[in-house]
Amino acid sequence: MELKLTEVTKKYGGFTAVDNISLTMTGGVYGLLGVNGAGKTTLMRMLCTLLKPTSGSITCDGRDIFAMDASYRGLLGYLPQDFGFYPDFTVRDYLRYIASIKGLRPAVAAKRTEELIGRVGLVKAADKKMKKLSGGMKRRAGIAQAMLNDPKILILDEPTSGLDPNERIRFRNLISELSEERMVLLSTHIVPDVEYIANEIWLMKDGVMVQSGTPDEVIASMPERVWICRTDKQTASKLMERYQVSNIKTEAQGAELRLIAAACPAEGARQTEASLEDVFLYYFGEKAGEENGVV
Amino acid sequence: MVWFEVKKVFSRASGKISLAVLAALLAVTCWLAVSHIDYVNADGDIVTGIRAVRMLRSDKEKWEGYITENVLRSVIRENAAINASDEARSENVKEQNKAYAKKQGFDDIRDMINRAFCSFREYNYYRADSITEEEVGGLYEQRVARLREWLYSEEVYDHYTEEERAFLIEQYESLKTPFYYAVSDGWQAVLYYAQTIVMIGMLVCGFLVSSVFSGEFQTKADAVFFSSKYGRSKAIAAKVKAGYLIVTVLYWILILSYSAIVLAATGTGGGNCAIQTSFTYGKSFYHITFFELWLLMVFGGYIGWLFILTLTMLVSVLTRSPVLAVMIPFIILFLPSFVGGFSVLSDMLGLWPDQLLNIGEAIMLFNLYRVGGHIAGALPVVFTMYSCLYLVLPPALYLAYRKTGID
Repeated sequence: MELKLTEVTKKYGGFTAVDNISLTMTGGVYGLLGVNGAGKTTLMRMLCTLLKPTSGSITCDGRDIFAMDASYRGLLGYLPQDFGFYPDFTVRDYLRYIASIKGLRPAVAAKRTEELIGRVGLVKAADKKMKKLSGGMKRRAGIAQAMLNDPKILILDEPTSGLDPNERIRFRNLISELSEERMVLLSTHIVPDVEYIANEIWLMKDGVMVQSGTPDEVIASMPERVWICRTDKQTASKLMERYQVSNIKTEAQGAELRLIAAACPAEGARQTEASLEDVFLYYFGEKAGEENGVV
Repeated sequence: MVWFEVKKVFSRASGKISLAVLAALLAVTCWLAVSHIDYVNADGDIVTGIRAVRMLRSDKEKWEGYITENVLRSVIRENAAINASDEARSENVKEQNKAYAKKQGFDDIRDMINRAFCSFREYNYYRADSITEEEVGGLYEQRVARLREWLYSEEVYDHYTEEERAFLIEQYESLKTPFYYAVSDGWQAVLYYAQTIVMIGMLVCGFLVSSVFSGEFQTKADAVFFSSKYGRSKAIAAKVKAGYLIVTVLYWILILSYSAIVLAATGTGGGNCAIQTSFTYGKSFYHITFFELWLLMVFGGYIGWLFILTLTMLVSVLTRSPVLAVMIPFIILFLPSFVGGFSVLSDMLGLWPDQLLNIGEAIMLFNLYRVGGHIAGALPVVFTMYSCLYLVLPPALYLAYRKTGID
């Protein structure tokens, strides 16, 4: 299966949310990284036929996804960033309802619902109302609904946002399990979410795809190097003003900085291997750390 | 899918509250309809409720039959005899009540005499007391004469064309006389409070259906809904069906329960009598019986509910807001109260959808419309017009929701 975006642009009045993006997805996990407002959600909503591009085309095996209509959506599983549900439905009822609008026959829907309730670890909460679930449980119910039709294309928009570290790890593992035999597009602004599970990473900024490739290729694409230097507090302050710093470890006599620079930034600094977080910082700058402090 | 859509509506607290309100409305309206019938017993005391219904029926049954000249003369004779009694002449209210108690059996016929012998827009309760046995024989002619007098009066002369006047006079003249009289208090009680239950029920139901479509946006479940395989086809059709199922089931449960309870308590007799035998509908130009009026009322109410509540759902789709949508039934019901003072709008308001919910009032209006060269009253026009308009709304609802979000 091939999902192809050709020169896709989405404009809202004078504002361009997605600008001339061309991509091809064939299988595996694709990590879409970008800060909030980069255009990730708009791109995903277009892939889910919730928005039409202003220009360009999106095709699935050569056919326009909007013309395919229900037959395309039958291949799709989608967990939106702002995952909404019916608060007074139990988890089981919610999943059965979604199964029905996904076209599953009642008997199949019942079986698949129970199977997924078990798979996402919601057996004890199956008869609880959705509004009574914790944030992590809601997200798990969300991934279960996305998986009901055994989708060939799974689109997850910020699936771990708002989750605590344990839930995030659990969720990441779950996505990894689910990614077999399907195409997964996972959007996030949290680098570790995709670092270990994505086969391909796309970096999106201001509606434009700034870099794409395997994690190693993306890391290698960074023209500058990553350095670690231990220095006194005064020098540390100066370095922080001049370079992008991805980590600071405060010590008794000074600080250990991890920073990005084209050449050795200070005496005694040693070059180290770049990580995806460093690349994220390099491309997205100050905004990269605004939201959650992960980077 | 339809079942889940219905469940969505009633699983919410607002859905449960609405159901409780409808149940309370049914109970209160039934109680009001039954208890508003009163009877004055031989001691001059007022009795209400089911006992009053039975006693009144027993008195009135003696007068059942065609209201011929002989019957009318008998009424005048008995009325005069009671008026001449000591109780009637007494200054004591209780004594006067005792006199009135004897008139209750023929009070409906006495009211017909009052109406026929007063000018068209007036009503004098004591008019029958001054009518002679000779005069009362011309009651049916008097009805027509009073109408003619009114139609040619300055008050409405410019409002009707000569053809329209002829139409109304013809309607009056062609009414089959003498009227057949039977005790129809049960049907009148049902009709009297029907508009209350139909109107308030519709407002409550507006709260339920306003969330059928907009609920997806409110709960932010729209993204999953529309990205599902049937999110732009069968799932929307299921919503439309669920909306109609809710409206239809609630309406018929409400109106049939109300009618059955009130009729069971007050009696089903008199359904075949012309509505002109009653005080309330005595001047109507429509040739229908109480049972036919009840049918018009229930089907009119149903078409009204369907039209107004589908419009509510359509507004909820277009605005994505249940709050704005739920205002539609209120606007439709209360707008005529605010703009009714403008005479230029009176013809238009005669065709306003609230007329369907208020057939009991509409049946008494003299609004005429010209349709395809024919003159017709408002009722056939509103029934036809809103049935046709209603047929357009479900596809519009479906298509509007289907296009949601794709821009």
